[in-house]
Amino acid sequence: MTVYRLAARRLLTAIPVVWGVTFLGFTVLNLLPGDAAQALLGADATPSEVAALSKQLHLDQPFFARYGNWLASALSGHLGNSLGSGQPVTTILAQRLPVTFELLLYAFIISLLIAIPVATLAARRPGGVFDSITTFIALVGLSIAPYILALLLILFFAVDLSLFPALGWTPVSGGLGANLRSLTLPALSLGFPIGCFYTRLLRADVLEQLDEDYVVTAHAKGLPGWRVLLRHATPNSMFGLITVVALNVGTLLGGTVIVEQIFGLPGIGEELFQAIQTRDFPVLEGIVVVFAVLVVVIGLLADLLYAVLDPRIRYDNPGQ
Amino acid sequence: MTTPVSEAATAVAAPGLAVSAPPARGRLRQSLSLYLPAGLLLAIIAACFLSPLVATVSPPTGGSVLNAGLPAGTPGFPLGTDANGNDIFSRLLYGGRVSLEVGAATQLIGIALGGLIGMIAGYSRGLLAAVLMRVLDVFIAFPSLVLALAIAEGLGPGELHVIWALSFYSVPAFARLARSATLRLRDQNFMLAAALSGTPRWRIVLFHLAPNLLPQLMTFALLGAGVAIIQEGALSFLSLGVPPPGASWGNMIAAGMQTMSVRPSLVLFPCLALLITVAALNLLGDALRARWSAR
Repeated sequence: MTVYRLAARRLLTAIPVVWGVTFLGFTVLNLLPGDAAQALLGADATPSEVAALSKQLHLDQPFFARYGNWLASALSGHLGNSLGSGQPVTTILAQRLPVTFELLLYAFIISLLIAIPVATLAARRPGGVFDSITTFIALVGLSIAPYILALLLILFFAVDLSLFPALGWTPVSGGLGANLRSLTLPALSLGFPIGCFYTRLLRADVLEQLDEDYVVTAHAKGLPGWRVLLRHATPNSMFGLITVVALNVGTLLGGTVIVEQIFGLPGIGEELFQAIQTRDFPVLEGIVVVFAVLVVVIGLLADLLYAVLDPRIRYDNPGQ
Repeated sequence: MTTPVSEAATAVAAPGLAVSAPPARGRLRQSLSLYLPAGLLLAIIAACFLSPLVATVSPPTGGSVLNAGLPAGTPGFPLGTDANGNDIFSRLLYGGRVSLEVGAATQLIGIALGGLIGMIAGYSRGLLAAVLMRVLDVFIAFPSLVLALAIAEGLGPGELHVIWALSFYSVPAFARLARSATLRLRDQNFMLAAALSGTPRWRIVLFHLAPNLLPQLMTFALLGAGVAIIQEGALSFLSLGVPPPGASWGNMIAAGMQTMSVRPSLVLFPCLALLITVAALNLLGDALRARWSAR
């Protein structure tokens, strides 16, 4: 089976999942009590005003008609307008997503910078001093909730030492250094716990690889131990990490909501929280779709990366 | 400097050594890594559920404003009071009940329902199984906050509704785990023997398959409980979980954040309580997993 056929197959299974998420999202939001039109106009609005706005926003139509309308316009790339600001949802998403993407990327880089060197060094002498200490730190570290780490970091670095800003976000136009500085504490809050998690996984995978025949061969050829570790065992240990990174995207996205809230970053998580407060259903539905597409697409990319890196997978049944 | 050959010997031999008969010191370390977190966890559970029955602890709510903002060590208030005059220590204990109950309930629902779905999906491998797993994929891809919001708003915020919302995530996780474990076990001899001797399929699943999956699922539940406790904290922090004045570590953190630069202890205590509890769960789960995989 070629990579392309695998891609097509995975895409076919991904489409129903994304569709299911949109339908579930619509159903769930529809179950919410309270009238969006009433909420927009305030408690003083007369029933006829509410009815007029409901009609204007198509809120008076039956559920399946509204879902059908939404799905049809979503397929043509239009996700509706925000009930609050009237802006198109796609415009709002386009403004918010870059901040969240930068934060996620920064956090991801931090987690890899922690995981790869620490796991490799720990696997060099399993049960040694470095291994024991880092294993314990990693286990405690992955127990830290991002929001707790965020608050502790604010307390120590922003309040006590004033090294980093506690609040706010500087766009890239305000200088890359200032931009990265404003994102460092949020990225660290997200990246450190997940980096600890990756460290444990990677260490176990490296140890497993060190048991393989090709490692014995490399040693027998007389290669230095560190070279065997860095060039042979560690690169071959990345497969487990790829899967877990893909599985973690949803959790990481959930984490951004609260971290953006704490640090006042204008990302998609903050928008989600605001939309929850104001019952802005089109925005909520748009964010649900974006999150789902991200989770599904990254899972798909992980599967493909797997198949590209390891030819054996292409010939096996990918359904497993 | 070690020679490359001795390097190779240690690198190759070490993982093997860990599996075959560990030396006495290693065994001691292994039991300590199991019993220390287990003891810590039991102590936390006892403190949260039993200590208000045994010792006199101030009520977690309904404090007088006259007592607001007392420092730690004040007689009657071992950790001081918050801005509403409530005893922080007592709120930590009652908040801990919420965390532990949410952690336990979501994982029990996950094991029962998710385990069953996963076993059916793995054992039958039919159309039903494929549909079931796709439905679970939808739940995994669905952002938890939106679901929690819908449940909190639709049914009112509260602990029970947090449990329901978070179970939408524990059930698919256990289902995936149970399915992959079932796929590994379904062609083993004991399963084939049961099928050949005419055991009904439901009996095979419940009495032959399930007991073999349970240790793995229960170990996973310890790790999952930690995740659920963190998420409960997040929901309460965002005022989608336990509403004030009820005590929850998440809403204590949220309330303390407003005065964090003046009184960091209001944030630090619930943060530490959450961290220690989740760390104990993770350490115990990890030690148990190591024990199972060594066999």
